[in-house]
Amino acid sequence: MTRILLAGLATTVLTAAPVMAVETSEVLATYADIAEAKYSDSLTTAQVLKNAISALITAPSEQTLAEARAAWIAARVPYMQTEVYRFGNAIVDDWEGRVNAWPLDEGLIDYVDASYGGATDENAIAALNVIANPSFVLSGQTVDAAEITPALLEETLQEADAVEANVATGYHAIEFLLWGQDLNGTGAGAGARPWTDYAAGADCTNGNCDRRADYLRAASDLLLSDLEWMVAQWAPDGAARTTLTGDEAAGLQAILTGMGSLSYGELAGQRMKLGVLLNDPEEEHDCFSDTTQWSHYYDALGIRQAYLGQYTRSDGTQISGASLADLVAEVNAPADAQLRTDLDATMVEMTEIVDATRNGMAYDMMLARGNDAGEELVMSAVAALVAQTRSIERVVTALDLGGITLEGSDSLDDVNAVFQ
Amino acid sequence: MRHLFATLFALTSAAGPVAADLDRVVDAHILPGYAAFADTTATLARAAADGCDPDPLRAEWNAAFDAWMAVSHLRFGPVEEQGRSVIIAFWPDDKGMTPRSLARLVADRDPVVGDPEEFKEVSVAARGLFALEFLLYDPQFQPQDPYTCDLIRMATRDLAEIAAVVSEDWHGGFADTLRGAGAPGNAVYLSENEGLQVLFTNLVAGLEFTANERLGRPLGSFDRPRPNRAEARRSARSLRNVTLSVQALQQLVDTLVDVPLPETDAAFDGAAWAAAALDDPSFAGVSDPGDRLKVEILQQSIKAIEVAVLAEVGPALGVSKGFNAGDGD
Repeated sequence: MTRILLAGLATTVLTAAPVMAVETSEVLATYADIAEAKYSDSLTTAQVLKNAISALITAPSEQTLAEARAAWIAARVPYMQTEVYRFGNAIVDDWEGRVNAWPLDEGLIDYVDASYGGATDENAIAALNVIANPSFVLSGQTVDAAEITPALLEETLQEADAVEANVATGYHAIEFLLWGQDLNGTGAGAGARPWTDYAAGADCTNGNCDRRADYLRAASDLLLSDLEWMVAQWAPDGAARTTLTGDEAAGLQAILTGMGSLSYGELAGQRMKLGVLLNDPEEEHDCFSDTTQWSHYYDALGIRQAYLGQYTRSDGTQISGASLADLVAEVNAPADAQLRTDLDATMVEMTEIVDATRNGMAYDMMLARGNDAGEELVMSAVAALVAQTRSIERVVTALDLGGITLEGSDSLDDVNAVFQ
Repeated sequence: MRHLFATLFALTSAAGPVAADLDRVVDAHILPGYAAFADTTATLARAAADGCDPDPLRAEWNAAFDAWMAVSHLRFGPVEEQGRSVIIAFWPDDKGMTPRSLARLVADRDPVVGDPEEFKEVSVAARGLFALEFLLYDPQFQPQDPYTCDLIRMATRDLAEIAAVVSEDWHGGFADTLRGAGAPGNAVYLSENEGLQVLFTNLVAGLEFTANERLGRPLGSFDRPRPNRAEARRSARSLRNVTLSVQALQQLVDTLVDVPLPETDAAFDGAAWAAAALDDPSFAGVSDPGDRLKVEILQQSIKAIEVAVLAEVGPALGVSKGFNAGDGD
């Protein structure tokens, strides 16, 4: 009797109280707090990288180069977990090309192997080699590159000639300067740049060691200032945060757009499936350092964190709060349970890829023609990402966010202007 | 056709559940589209088996490409398994992988062209419609060279096999999966709404691909037009592909939606008019300010279709756009 009464009461309370236990504003606050923490961790680890690069430049040796490489790998860990913020937040998406543009025609920056070729149909300056050329012609203009400065990289070289593959700044430019080209094709091994590429005087290999050091210094300075800027965008009054929280429905949609776009079009499609289909080791996100498995792993982890409202900081501190998962569980528990299951399944697949690389099958080897086991590893992870995308779509439907993205509104205005 | 249904709909149901018909899309749009693609690619493969004289092969290749354009916007179901859609049409090719992969096969006289199973392991850049375009049109390749001819034969056979499998898989199962969206036991589409959503997502993504890639890539910027980035420019199919893709998307709308769509119809008509007004098959004119304007107008007219479709078709179906392959960079 009592139990029935209680059950009846509970039903009444539930139906009579449309106010949810989880407030959307709190969900958005958690998401923004985690963004701030992730970009702060990216900044802190980039500062360590900067110090290691200074040590390499000041006292080049096998050891200082190895330490700089280790610092780069560590700096990627928090950064890759931020990628889930890209597609849903215009401020992030407009900025991210400065720090993480890929793929790049690395011959723009430094010497490359003869097999790289020269200029292509797409890119007339694919083999420009700024480090070796203090002056060159770009789109008909003579450029004075006697001094390699952050401004030269950022304003003149980045996306020069409106070609996206002209990547002069960010993690991958630094990666190339620390590792060099990976000339092992779909065989084992990363880039093998010698430390003497930074040596002084007669010990200098491949020429222009001082200019190479200048380039590396300028690129790491820029990475720091770019990350500082992004941390500020997520501060209490930062533009990324206020944009997100200004419209609650649009804010939730931003979270889900970031999760879905990274899962499907970007990670599953562009970065993973295409590499297998092309059998091309250059279709590897972190191809110089051969650490693509971690890049994919932390991307997927970031997607999961965005949903669950959790993040473990670089110093081990845990952050958690009201989450999108909590919100969905109240509205549609099966949709929440399915997405959690799918996100976990993706992490299992990503872990299998990481484990395989530890056991000797490098990520680029998985892409080799005829490597069925490697293909299976990558394509299983792709399938898991596709499955989780379907569940993200179901969550969008369950939350009834109205769907239509705001992207169309600009073109609406343009279109009317044209036809008036 | 749609307007007849629209009238019936208005008479019979003022506020019906959904103003759409999945059966009709499957039977009048999807199945005949894939069947025609399977037929034309089979004809192409037979022609290649007979010989590699480029003229007849080009005609059959163009017929197959036309058939592909009627279904190229459908990026779900069997065509998305095992990378089939990417194999069929690997474009855009930012890094010039197609000519590089083909040139390597020819230079090495790679025996992979003698074994259909082995050929399935070859990079997608050297397979499908765009690889064949290079082999049949680009002066760097000689179709009648014995090795190149073997490569053409294997690539056409491979393409025909893929087209046949996609068509069979639709007929043999996936058609019922889509038709039965929301039926008990349907694990792919848990509601009719999900079946409608995947079509709506592909409609919008198809419009975006044509506007942003097929037209946006050659347009580049005013200061830096990129005529060499036009799709299928070697065969001068660039404009034709835009026209056919818009027709295919209009047919999708016509077979799917049962209510009047005045803005959408007007926008499709506007794009057809803009395409017909353009006499620039490979978009070479993007470098000329006057000719460029016409290409820009065509692009704007396709963006206008997207705006109309988001405003009319989405609400009519009661769905919003899901995620698509173009969502990344």
